[in-house]
Amino acid sequence: MTTTDHDDEPEVQPFEVGEVPSAKSIRRFTSQAANSRGGATIGSLLGGVYYAVISIAISVAVALGAAQAMRASLPEAPDVEAPLQLSLATLVVVIIVALAGALLSLAGRLGPVGAGGAEAAWWLALPVDRRGLLRPAARRLPLLAGFVAAILVALLDAGLLADPGLRVARVATTAALVAVGIVLLAAVGQSAGVSRRSLALAGDVLLFLAPVAAVVLARVGWSVDEVPGAPWWFVVGLVPVVAALAVVVDRRLGRIPSRTLRESGSVATQAVGAVVSMDSRELGRALTDGAAAPVRRWLSPLTTARGPASALVTADLVVLRRSARHVVQLVVAALVPVLVSTVPQLASPIGVLFAVLIAGSVAMSATGEGARRAEMAPILDRLLPLEAKTVRRLRMVVPAAAMLLWSLVAFAAVGRWASDVPGWIALGIASTPVWAAAAVRGSYRPAPDWGGALVSTPMGALPTGVATVLARGPDLVILCLLPVWIAVLLRTVNAPLLYAQIVLSIIAVAIASSIRTRSLMESLMDAQEQERAARR
Amino acid sequence: MPKKPVIRAQDLIVGYGGAPVCAPVTFTLAAGKVVALVGANGSGKSTVLRAVIGLLEPSGGTLRVFDNPVDERDVAFRTKVASVLDDDAYFPALTVSEHLYLTARGHGVHGAQEVVAGLLAEFGLTDHARSLPVALSSGQRRRLLLAAGFVRPRSLLVLDEPEQRLDRAMRDRLASRIVAEKEAGGAVLLATHDPDLLRAVADRAVHVADDVTRLLPTDQAADLISRENP
Repeated sequence: MTTTDHDDEPEVQPFEVGEVPSAKSIRRFTSQAANSRGGATIGSLLGGVYYAVISIAISVAVALGAAQAMRASLPEAPDVEAPLQLSLATLVVVIIVALAGALLSLAGRLGPVGAGGAEAAWWLALPVDRRGLLRPAARRLPLLAGFVAAILVALLDAGLLADPGLRVARVATTAALVAVGIVLLAAVGQSAGVSRRSLALAGDVLLFLAPVAAVVLARVGWSVDEVPGAPWWFVVGLVPVVAALAVVVDRRLGRIPSRTLRESGSVATQAVGAVVSMDSRELGRALTDGAAAPVRRWLSPLTTARGPASALVTADLVVLRRSARHVVQLVVAALVPVLVSTVPQLASPIGVLFAVLIAGSVAMSATGEGARRAEMAPILDRLLPLEAKTVRRLRMVVPAAAMLLWSLVAFAAVGRWASDVPGWIALGIASTPVWAAAAVRGSYRPAPDWGGALVSTPMGALPTGVATVLARGPDLVILCLLPVWIAVLLRTVNAPLLYAQIVLSIIAVAIASSIRTRSLMESLMDAQEQERAARR
Repeated sequence: MPKKPVIRAQDLIVGYGGAPVCAPVTFTLAAGKVVALVGANGSGKSTVLRAVIGLLEPSGGTLRVFDNPVDERDVAFRTKVASVLDDDAYFPALTVSEHLYLTARGHGVHGAQEVVAGLLAEFGLTDHARSLPVALSSGQRRRLLLAAGFVRPRSLLVLDEPEQRLDRAMRDRLASRIVAEKEAGGAVLLATHDPDLLRAVADRAVHVADDVTRLLPTDQAADLISRENP
């Protein structure tokens, strides 16, 4: 072993050291080794790309067709001005602003620039130009955001507003550029040392303000007749702005500390893994933990904890209160039925039904954080001297309380639409236990079973084991809220529907209290199998 | 004129979100010396190491490495500082030897193939040179990480509990390697729970704890570890 003096520091180097290679060659070495063992030929790779492009194109075309069909079925806006009314174009603008907030929040939570496990461990310690190593990762999220934004806004514009083709192209291009710009701005913030939490919070605030502003606009009677379309000169002007942002990000990539890259990479890896394995709970955990405060500035005194039951409920409440994302999710979801019922073209029974179903599901998923945490760490439930079924029931208390607030807002709006506010609020209150039960049932569902039977469909193989597991929770929403759906379609609430809802709510709570992990069908099949084995 | 220390930590406070994980730490590490951090599980040893290599921003105090504030974004810092943490992350498609080759070539090592072959033999990985990480045992993966720390030039080597998951023979070989490192003028900062490794390699020890951190002679620190881990 030899020692050399370098900058007054002895350097241990039992070998000759020359020029450090370029970052590109490091990336190429890694990818070539991976490709050589991937087993994929050029033909199969091209085939994969071909099928991906075709699938995306078909999906976009189908979605566009569906949106246009929906638009064709929308009634014309009435000439008469209602006291609380919002134009469809205003709603689209609100949705676009909310999407921008959601994108900023997501970009903040994911980094947006990061280095996953192996890259962080083996690349970041090398004395090569870090910018070159991170460049592909830095491009990925902005490009994906631009692509998705273009399609979403094109769907909204072409589908709901039926604008001519050239305008759609212009709007989609603008959306793509703005989305890329938002992610790049988040990356500039990241390189300047802005925390992921702050970026996510900024996005959450925008997401929160969009529907609130819409309600205020509806109250004051201000609406736009059409989505303000950006002229071509504006679109062309956006290009150099976004390009300049991209250059700034590229120049600052080397300034992002390794610890930040590692954290972001870890969150992104967890989130991608959750998406690939279709595990929404894991995705929620990744996005929540990615922007969580490392240390609480205040500790909850847990003053309402007087025994095991109240301790559990208090803990659930603290978990929900500490997650800004879930609180924003609840508020935004409560305002969706309000907004939909104020847009004349959407305020049909079908439109309101979808608004209540989707917004309710979004709100419901925000309330089950305590149960989801407990499912991840079962010891939390076992720490308290409570029966498992009792624990499940107690875990429904906070979701029920949160969904009660949601129901009061959402069903009051539906009641105003149906001209019977007290009746609909009564139905909303009666249906609250179903949402809570669905939240807890969904939180405690087992991991997706990828070993189950595959059903061949024109869209490819469908893993039934996964679908069965993912349906736990939403199944209660669909089945046990049937009286609500019927009432919305009939636009009226009556006593039989109210009583039926109360009975179904009791059934839903009973189902969600069950601690069986296997479905009724699976249990029957197990029993049959045991019977056969006993006979043999 | 005496040379400046490789590491100088003065009342260094480390932690997460502003909450310190241990009492302020003070120590210096000179070239050709080994300092060991000892303490119970969760006492903050690894957190101190992470601050030294720039993976964690200190909450307070002074920390200078090579007489500069720690900044791992600086290429010169990455050239001089090698670290082996418990990062159990590997490129799934790269073999054992390719991981080492990547590290060696990334540091501009000439004749990287020969250097890698030598280290594979030294760490008992020659038979697994063409294996993918997924095929390795936990101990073999640990040896791969350690080999990666030695396959590149360095002035400071930071090791986090390097004895973990190693058998006795490999621990002895590692101890010899660390002794050779300091004899060649390298500085080594390590955290350890192994009293034998501590006695074999360390010149001084820092006992990291919640209430107070203190410098200890090696033997006293080794006895302390033995008492904590009977």
